[in-house]
Amino acid sequence: MTAPFLHINGIRKTYGNVVATDHVELAIAEGEFMTFLGPSGSGKSTTLYILAGFQDPTAGDIRLRGQSILQTPSHKRNIGMVFQRYTLFPHLSVGENVAFPLRVRRMGQDEVAAKVKRALSLVRLDGFEDRMPAKMSGGQQQRVALARALVYDPPVLLMDEPLSALDKKLREEIQFEIRRIHQETGVTILYVTHDQEEALRLSDRIAIFNQGKIEQVGTGPELYANPATHFVADFIGDSTFLAGQLAGVSGNRAGLRFADGTLVADVPLHGSGHAGQAAELMLRPERIELAPEPGAAGASLPVTVEDMTFLGNNTTVAARTSWGDALSVRLNFGHPLSGRIARGDSLYIRWSPEAAHAFVRG
Amino acid sequence: MLLDFNKLGAWKWALSGICALMALFLLLPILFIVALSFGSSRWLIFPPPGWTLKWYEELFADPRWLGAALTSAKIGVIVMVLSVALGLLASLALVRGKFRGRAVLRAFFLTPMVLPVVIVAVALYAAFLRLGINGTLPGFVIAHLIVALPFAIITITGALETFDPAIEDAAILCGASPWEARLRVTLPGIRHGLFSAAIFSFLISWDEVVLAIFMASPSLQTLPVKVWTTLRQDLTPVIAAASTLLVALTVILMIAAALIRKGKSE
Repeated sequence: MTAPFLHINGIRKTYGNVVATDHVELAIAEGEFMTFLGPSGSGKSTTLYILAGFQDPTAGDIRLRGQSILQTPSHKRNIGMVFQRYTLFPHLSVGENVAFPLRVRRMGQDEVAAKVKRALSLVRLDGFEDRMPAKMSGGQQQRVALARALVYDPPVLLMDEPLSALDKKLREEIQFEIRRIHQETGVTILYVTHDQEEALRLSDRIAIFNQGKIEQVGTGPELYANPATHFVADFIGDSTFLAGQLAGVSGNRAGLRFADGTLVADVPLHGSGHAGQAAELMLRPERIELAPEPGAAGASLPVTVEDMTFLGNNTTVAARTSWGDALSVRLNFGHPLSGRIARGDSLYIRWSPEAAHAFVRG
Repeated sequence: MLLDFNKLGAWKWALSGICALMALFLLLPILFIVALSFGSSRWLIFPPPGWTLKWYEELFADPRWLGAALTSAKIGVIVMVLSVALGLLASLALVRGKFRGRAVLRAFFLTPMVLPVVIVAVALYAAFLRLGINGTLPGFVIAHLIVALPFAIITITGALETFDPAIEDAAILCGASPWEARLRVTLPGIRHGLFSAAIFSFLISWDEVVLAIFMASPSLQTLPVKVWTTLRQDLTPVIAAASTLLVALTVILMIAAALIRKGKSE
């Protein structure tokens, strides 16, 4: 087996008694767009800073093409980075900002000029060479920062929430640009964000960080369809959790019994558990069907309607199980039931067995 | 805004009037001196009975005045260079350092600003007697550096605090070594602060009289000391001429400092 292009190997970082990251293990392929997604303080930025060389890990190693880079100082790692804050050099023009990495590499004048032109063209800022950073919008500044980070053709580009200071519309525009640039250059990108929509839009694969650890790594659809933990299910997309007890475990499938005695059999189980242990059933709102009577096949539960919200293409129905767990169901516009249900109605939710997941309560 | 100037009505005129009066109050002594330096009366009569340049001729004809001005300029420039260099190093430690007692150290660096100058002067005089550097250039420079350094530290610290260290990190990842990043990115990034610190350090030394009186010897005295000693012997309009030139340089440098600040905000 050949070594992965970039191998984050068991990185652990502690500050005194605080564990920032714990055994972060990740193999990244060349040209991959990998996103670190997680809430603030989950260790995703720490991992990125260790890659950049601004922090040293307490334990573990980082290998690029099989070679450890931890002993190489930041300025010799040849890694590109775009920061959360605007970091253009304020006293230099756009052209000189982009030329800076080439100048410190003592590159010839003609080559510098050609590369700067190409880099600015890549981020669609042709002809902005003489503009000063202070005279540019935030979005333009981050695009210049991107050009500056790519002009020396680094093998890896790090991006630390580069769009968090921009408004939503501009953010989507630049996300699109980043995707295009990734496809055009083929550079390996490690991208940190706490915005799940941004992660899903951009990434080849996403690593979900929580409390210093990676909970799951996978493509967006994989994480959505097959979340490994409660945290992942909760963080990616909307989900409903119904509390119950494990009743009969066989391999990675289990039965679940709810407080009202209903038994749901043959649910994919994540994590190991034994009969009688507290667990929960996870359902995505679009996989739940609302009906006046229980279904013949699959599983169902009686619920009471609490509220309806019309949202254009769908009506979101808030309901509650007989033992008090809240859940929400989406009825697409034109659904036979929409407009015909009222608060307090007793209905059934139904789902196909493959749409549900059981998580053992930790 | 609650106190929008344009919505104040009659108050607007009252405030403008008060403002003009205060400016006049502050400027009047200087205007007075400038007028007297061009006045023809030997006895500093105001308003001057006629106008003349002879006091300036007398001033430039006397090598002692020129010598004092050169001494002032020399001390001022050395103090300026040392104050900015030491101020920069101290500010780097205070802003970027992560050691214990930084806040205490910062307050300590500013103590020369709050100590009465005359006390500092007496203390330095006693200390320099032992070192044998009273009345020498190094003595002058050290004395003035003590009062100039706090201003340099305040100005440079302020500039460094508004300069995002992430910009320096960006330069390092671009391939610049940490010192190269500081030299090529951080220093130019805080150049307005460095210029302001230089101008104020020079001006503090240029205008300083209390420490200078203690440090001065018959062979080495600064312009303010020369004004002071001449004043005690003989009340001549030449002093007004010398003072006018002193003020002129100060005003020019203050305008330069203001322009630098304006350039920064744009």
